Amino acid sequence: MIPALELHDVAKSFGPVRALSGVSLTVQAGEVHCVLGENGAGKSTLCNLVNGGVSLERGTMTLYGEPYRPSRPTDALAAGVAMVHQHFSLVPTLTIAENLLLAAGARLRPRRRELHEGLARIEETYGLSVPLDELAGHVPVGVRQQAEIIKCLLRDPRLLLLDEPTAVLGPADVDALLATCRRIAEAGKAVVLVTHKLGEVTRAGDSATILRGGTVAGAGPLAGFGAEDLVELMVGRPMSDLDPLLVASVDESATSREAARITAEPVFRAQGLTLSRADGTLALDGVNLEIAPGEIVGVAGVEGNGQSELVTVLSGAVPPGSGSFLLGEHDLTFATPRGRTAAGLGIIPEDRHHEGCVPAMSIAENLFLPRLSEFARRGLLDRSALHEAAARVIEEHGIRATGPSARMSTLSGGNQQKVVVARELALDPLVCLVAAQPTRGLDIGAVDAVLGRIRSAAQAGAAVLVISSELSELLALCHRIVVAYRGRLLGPVPAAAPQARDEIGRLMVGAAA
Amino acid sequence: MSAFVELAEGGVRLAVPLLLASAGELVSERAGVLNLSVEGMMLTGAFAGAVGASMTGSPWAGVGFALAAGLLAALLQAVLSVTLRADQIVTGIAANALALGGTTYGARLFFTDGRSVPGFEPVLGPLTVLGCAGLAVVAAIGLLLSRRTGYGLAVDAAGADAVAADRTGLPVAAIRYGVVLLTGLTSALAGAQLALAEVHAFTDNLTAGVGYLAVVAVIAGRWRAWPTALACLFFGIAQALQFTAPLLGLHLPTAVLVMSPYLIALVAVSGLVGSSRAPAGLTVPFHRESR
Repeated sequence: MIPALELHDVAKSFGPVRALSGVSLTVQAGEVHCVLGENGAGKSTLCNLVNGGVSLERGTMTLYGEPYRPSRPTDALAAGVAMVHQHFSLVPTLTIAENLLLAAGARLRPRRRELHEGLARIEETYGLSVPLDELAGHVPVGVRQQAEIIKCLLRDPRLLLLDEPTAVLGPADVDALLATCRRIAEAGKAVVLVTHKLGEVTRAGDSATILRGGTVAGAGPLAGFGAEDLVELMVGRPMSDLDPLLVASVDESATSREAARITAEPVFRAQGLTLSRADGTLALDGVNLEIAPGEIVGVAGVEGNGQSELVTVLSGAVPPGSGSFLLGEHDLTFATPRGRTAAGLGIIPEDRHHEGCVPAMSIAENLFLPRLSEFARRGLLDRSALHEAAARVIEEHGIRATGPSARMSTLSGGNQQKVVVARELALDPLVCLVAAQPTRGLDIGAVDAVLGRIRSAAQAGAAVLVISSELSELLALCHRIVVAYRGRLLGPVPAAAPQARDEIGRLMVGAAA
Repeated sequence: MSAFVELAEGGVRLAVPLLLASAGELVSERAGVLNLSVEGMMLTGAFAGAVGASMTGSPWAGVGFALAAGLLAALLQAVLSVTLRADQIVTGIAANALALGGTTYGARLFFTDGRSVPGFEPVLGPLTVLGCAGLAVVAAIGLLLSRRTGYGLAVDAAGADAVAADRTGLPVAAIRYGVVLLTGLTSALAGAQLALAEVHAFTDNLTAGVGYLAVVAVIAGRWRAWPTALACLFFGIAQALQFTAPLLGLHLPTAVLVMSPYLIALVAVSGLVGSSRAPAGLTVPFHRESR
């Protein structure tokens, strides 16, 4: 049988960075082939090579036995290769119907009837449908992804690539997506699923290729790998070397830990915080929370229950409608971000691209942006001192980059997050750390590093608030967990309690409210 | 009464070049290219039109000269802003300065011995044949590139999210080249309008900021077709008012009238009237091969 896609000894560099070298890979038609790897392992580059987004430097590709060398996405589409992009390819200001019409090429008169026939066929074969008249930018992310998949299927591709398709989805959407992948493969097409989440692979995949540092670390049918083998191949060190906390968060059955006894006076005090949305409903409806030095409190909950708003109020981006927020003896309710930093409040924001760093500036500048005055010499910036200090931080935090002057935007997501964490932890004194979704979109190695840093900050005496949608991670990391539900915090549930997971699950749907 | 008729006629006549230039500019900005060089392209078109008409004795040949010159000027802008990904605002200003210097020098060389420039005479109210043709071009652009056609959608996609458009398989660079060249043609036509249908001559800096007004009309119209057209008409009437105000018995300082388009644009962009709708990718060059 001729393989659907075959890559032989493929290489690609971006400037001095080797993204891929000597990668070979075989995908059969009718199977779901998983490409696994940490962030920065070369997964996205591999996708873009096959999709024509970047050009091949060395090696060969064949598609169903034919030599294949796309130089732009249009070539790939013409050859029957369609890709579901991680950040989507829908124009947000057009409706979904207009986006789907454009996928058939720009014509003077859009072929609406053909589109509706195609959509009916797709709904029949794969059970997928989307609201056509909504703006693509206004529908929930799960719907946007379905529209993206439909857009690909309308072209009737022979090979479908999905780049990190589950990174933005909730659990129910993930299940639906994986079922769709299986159905597409059963229809005789080849599906390549690129991901760093191991759970998905075992549920949906037939075979896998594991990438590490731009080379193939392992390949074969998935039946031949255990979950531990996959982690070891991805990370490149044995499971026993990893933080036990991390193992707990990969393994669903979290081990219960001895909870440290916290007796000190609370230093973080939020009382009756409220915040109204634009439509008049309450995003925060009286949030009360106290955290003692050295304590880690987690906020769990289904997204959209006020978690993001709580962070914006605590960070000073939006003033609360009422209530107060005290850190030690400082009243920070209406303080400026600078005032909050001076009081010892560190914030790791939810969206690191927009709120956490300046992508166009260097690592060194990003690291020391809040305290550049420390590097001033006679009013001018001492660049060499800045770079030396940054080089030390890069070394200490294991940030993978070409050097202190590398631009933030050239780093992988995990390494960008390490920079943000390093900057916030460098506050002196660090009285309180608020971390919002600190591990979102990160690979296992980076999760390990970031969680370890947060825990050592607590051990050094900081009060820590972690907002996360990864329950296993919260259970392994926190002392207490509260659950956000319709703008209130329910609980707390001690994380070490044997029934903690069930209890939190009930609170998440408001059962005990 | 006749003063009002004169005002309306003058307003329409002065609005035609504005409509032409801003029709091209609107399409260009929707596709993500801020073509600040409309002023320069208009001036180039006006000069080439006057030279062509004077040399051949035929105003239509002048229009042909103008279109060719506008296309060349637009090609320069397209290569700089799309292929070489230069800063669109800087290249636009540079192109305008170059056009002003070039045409002024050219006029010194060419229009020395009192050469006459044959032009168009009004046939339909205040409009010449060229004016009618200009309005037809504007209407055609409005129809063919509206959001109801696939071409219009493709233009919007290239300006709102060039990366998504590219991944969809749309030729982003070709679309952007196309809209810049289109702006070159419409701007040159607008310039020819001024030289051949209005003043029947070429004088230094003949356009005197009309091209900038076209850019302002697009902003004041919030990147939508009808409001932009209305803005052009209003600016045309405001200009005509400068000449007819005394006839109407109005004693407004001319400076206020000259200023009014810019004040309106400031109000429009400052967010006083709803949210701004500038295309997200405006002035952002597109480059595929990056991580």
